[in-house]
Amino acid sequence: MTVLRKSRAALGVGLAVALLATGCGGSDAGDDGTITLDVGLFGTFGFEEAGLYDEYMELHPEIRIEETSVERSADYYRTLQTRLAANSGLADIQGIEIGFVADLVANHADAFVDFAALDGADEVLSGFYDWKVEPATSEDGRVIGLGTDAGPEAMCYRRDLFEQAGLPTDRAELSALWADWDGYLEVGRRYAAAPGRAEGTSFVDSPASIFSAAVYQGEYAYADEDGQPIPETSDGVQAAWADASTAAEEGLTAGLTQFGDEWNSAFANGGFATVACPAWMLGYITSQAGDGAAGLWDVAALPGGSTNWGGSWLGVPESAENREEAVALVQWLTAPEQQIKMFTREAHFPSSQVAAEDPAVSGAVNDYFNGAPVGEIFGQSAASLQFTPISRYDTQIQEAFSSALTNVATQGTSPDDAFDDAMAEIDDIVG
Amino acid sequence: MTIASDEPQVASIAAPSAPPGPARRPSRLTRNRWGYAYVAPFFVLFACFSLYPFLYTAWISLHDVDLGDVDGAQWVGLANYGELLTSEFFWNAARNTLTIGVLSTVPQLAMALGLAHLLNYSLRGRTFFRVAMLLPYATSIAAATLVFGQLFGRDYGLINAGLEAVGFDRVDWEGGTWSSQLAISVIVIWRWTGYNALIYLAAMQAIPEDLYEAATLDGASRWKQFLHVTIPGLRPTILFTIVVSTIGAVQLFGEPLLFSGNGTTNGGSSNQYQTLGLLMYDQGWTNFHLGQAAATAWAMFLIILVVVGAWALLARRRARAER
Amino acid sequence: MTVTAPRPVDDAVPGSRPAPVPPRRRRRRAAGRVTQAGPLTYVLLVLTALVSVFPLYWTAVAGSHTNAEIAATPPPFLPDADLFTNIGRAMDEAPIGLALVNTIVVAGCITVGTVLCCTLAGFAFAKLRFRGNKALLGLVVGTMMVPTQLAIIPLFLLIAELEWVNQLQAVVLPTLVTAFGVFFMRQYLSSALPDELLEAGRMDGASTARIFWSIVVPVARPAMAVLAMLTFLTAWNDFFWPLIALTNENPTVQVALAGLGGGYVPDRAVIMAGTLIGTLPILVVFTVLGRHIVGGIMQGAVKG
Repeated sequence: MTVLRKSRAALGVGLAVALLATGCGGSDAGDDGTITLDVGLFGTFGFEEAGLYDEYMELHPEIRIEETSVERSADYYRTLQTRLAANSGLADIQGIEIGFVADLVANHADAFVDFAALDGADEVLSGFYDWKVEPATSEDGRVIGLGTDAGPEAMCYRRDLFEQAGLPTDRAELSALWADWDGYLEVGRRYAAAPGRAEGTSFVDSPASIFSAAVYQGEYAYADEDGQPIPETSDGVQAAWADASTAAEEGLTAGLTQFGDEWNSAFANGGFATVACPAWMLGYITSQAGDGAAGLWDVAALPGGSTNWGGSWLGVPESAENREEAVALVQWLTAPEQQIKMFTREAHFPSSQVAAEDPAVSGAVNDYFNGAPVGEIFGQSAASLQFTPISRYDTQIQEAFSSALTNVATQGTSPDDAFDDAMAEIDDIVG
Repeated sequence: MTIASDEPQVASIAAPSAPPGPARRPSRLTRNRWGYAYVAPFFVLFACFSLYPFLYTAWISLHDVDLGDVDGAQWVGLANYGELLTSEFFWNAARNTLTIGVLSTVPQLAMALGLAHLLNYSLRGRTFFRVAMLLPYATSIAAATLVFGQLFGRDYGLINAGLEAVGFDRVDWEGGTWSSQLAISVIVIWRWTGYNALIYLAAMQAIPEDLYEAATLDGASRWKQFLHVTIPGLRPTILFTIVVSTIGAVQLFGEPLLFSGNGTTNGGSSNQYQTLGLLMYDQGWTNFHLGQAAATAWAMFLIILVVVGAWALLARRRARAER
Repeated sequence: MTVTAPRPVDDAVPGSRPAPVPPRRRRRRAAGRVTQAGPLTYVLLVLTALVSVFPLYWTAVAGSHTNAEIAATPPPFLPDADLFTNIGRAMDEAPIGLALVNTIVVAGCITVGTVLCCTLAGFAFAKLRFRGNKALLGLVVGTMMVPTQLAIIPLFLLIAELEWVNQLQAVVLPTLVTAFGVFFMRQYLSSALPDELLEAGRMDGASTARIFWSIVVPVARPAMAVLAMLTFLTAWNDFFWPLIALTNENPTVQVALAGLGGGYVPDRAVIMAGTLIGTLPILVVFTVLGRHIVGGIMQGAVKG
């Protein structure tokens, strides 16, 4: 009896809560003249951590900045796609990743403010590397976002493992030895054959490491100038496939899947000696390998020239509630001064040429990486970068090739069969 | 009331066309227009928030739709379905779904039944055990991902370390077809066994004690009681869990996605653990082909319909035979 | 025994007679109550409990170590005091306090609504004959069969139309009822609720509503308790739709947790520490209320 009455009371309370919850969908209150800017980002931006929002709010007391962040960009992108489809619920500023900038440029360029049409646009845009502005530019010349960081690539290697295998450990010497990928594979063969090689270690983490770096060194990677996928005929794919599948077939790779658990563990356990590393991956290595590996890693030039992996933009939806203030904030956050701060505080490499050439950036060294002059190495990589056309399917196509290469390395699939598998998968992806 | 008199009803669960059966006495109560009032709250919400998306998916499956341009849908009739039938990726996913489904559902339900039986004993710490059984379902996906990634790792995984310690070879759990499907089944079993056990446990409370008393007087062992009193008494619930688990197995999506570790949606380097649910996600959200994904969704619906229909038919046959 | 017999709402409906309790109902007892568990039972249950608890324990371990430490061979096996530092960082990074309050409201509403609607509908489908009931039940079960991952696009269009984006009802209402729950209650009641009991209530002249409250609900209580637990957990851990409909301005726990540990190097310790405090409230609820909730599973049979 009492139990029954109690549970009925609980039911009533629950219903009341339900009614309350559905009844009061609170809206943004506060009419004290402040403007709240919503910034919708995924994990990699780091403005808040670098204290840039606080700085900006101090400069502009009328502005309040609220960041909402989703750690994984895939989750973020799904939300963005849904909200773009409904043209509703977009923030004042939205983060855009290289993995989906081509899709937004092709399909939603009109939904974003055109940074090329603003006053003083030429001056603003000319501060960025060309290859950073190009991917965010639509066919009719709209620029949907301004660049934040970039990912010029180099080659990271374990000095101690190289030494045990009797290989040179000097970064200049290695950069010369692996001026191209043939030279790199040659070093890899020497590593694999070395009697002193640490047991259970491989030369490179994954065939994908070679492939994804080499493919963008061609004139074309996965797409032509119109953003149409051309994976079968592109020079970049052919050269990269030859190098990566050779490494996989000859057992030079650890056959790991990048960003998987085993890959993470391999850093901590010293499972491989080299990995192609964009500027941002230095932080990844530092964190995964831990303090015990300080000074063991070093950075040399990437074989075959420079290339870029990763990096983002900030865009302002046309439907943004506070369009002008949002544009001003984006321009401030991506200006050279702030990009320099992002480099010194968060180690994000600038996409602004002006910032990259500043001594605070170009003179930087990284102690964890044996004092490597990372500012200079990545700066040179960035300066010599050429723009390669991208398509909205680049990430997916690369995933298909990486998977096929993993099969060569771990399942003994022949490179030709693996290539055919990849092409079948890509046909399905591109549809 | 005897358990046996419930049988025709059991059979009609998922086969709505079954005749009520003359065994049931029509009464004033059961012929009741109040039924509409009772189902109304559910159906009002259902119509608002479930029916529209449900029909939308059907409509989309007949169009060529790009996720980037949902408004620009082009009518293509049944072309998406035709493409599916000729797609090696679809059949591969269907095969994987079947094997993972069998590998995970059968032991999961059997173990749940056993576990419920154990929990039904007079126990010290009964509350603790029951809450513990539900923990896998309460554990977040992120935590489970980390744990199982570390368990099933090829080079640094704990399971392989154990295998090596007792003289076996390491297994590339994620890379192989059978090994990956087995590993995923383990995750599914881990996550859902306690869930089903609780459902069984609730149903066990409805079995009248006098049936057990009678069985004891007849000298039936505990095991015999379990077989001849518990199982028949649970029949509607068992059918329920079979139907729900079948649906869950065909729609399996989270566990294979979690198992890849790095968030890729292709279900392994050779799609060796790509399921239909993951394929649909891959088509729609990764590759932007909404129409194709919707066709896959409806193909899954048809598959489930056939399987569940078969279950219902089977249950009806059995019930008839027993009567 | 009579004290525990369910009585109708006599204060709400004065003058009405309590529904009679058929004598056989008194003899219905929990099947296992008289059967003592043997040592083997305990061994099996303890093993199962260990396997069930382990990932949660590992969450605490991972929440107190750096990425490198947790990836080392062999990994650490004990949590340490850093866990509290990391929990503090997680609370700083994401509005977890607000998220917890929101989630309690959201999961609570969904649970109450689901249990109520599904018991009503389940009872009707199990025991009442009305035109089209089988077709409607078929429709209910049928909707379970169509995967929902694509439905979020039209659903979001709808929510946007209603201007509910970033508001809790956008999560509550679409998940308020489940076909699963209706089907579950229907299956349970079809065998647990004897027709004679309903007949007896009817003979006594009780209204349909009274029959529901004083006969159906007591019998349904074990299933309602289980449905409530499962619904609450599902709602608590749901993230696919909430991540689309809400942002960190007004998040549920899973939405807030999705924003944790960002950066080019996801900070696993913070993510795991956050995950732990996102899960703890459930444990607290189940441990404190466990006797009542779990007890509810027994009550229908024992006290009915």
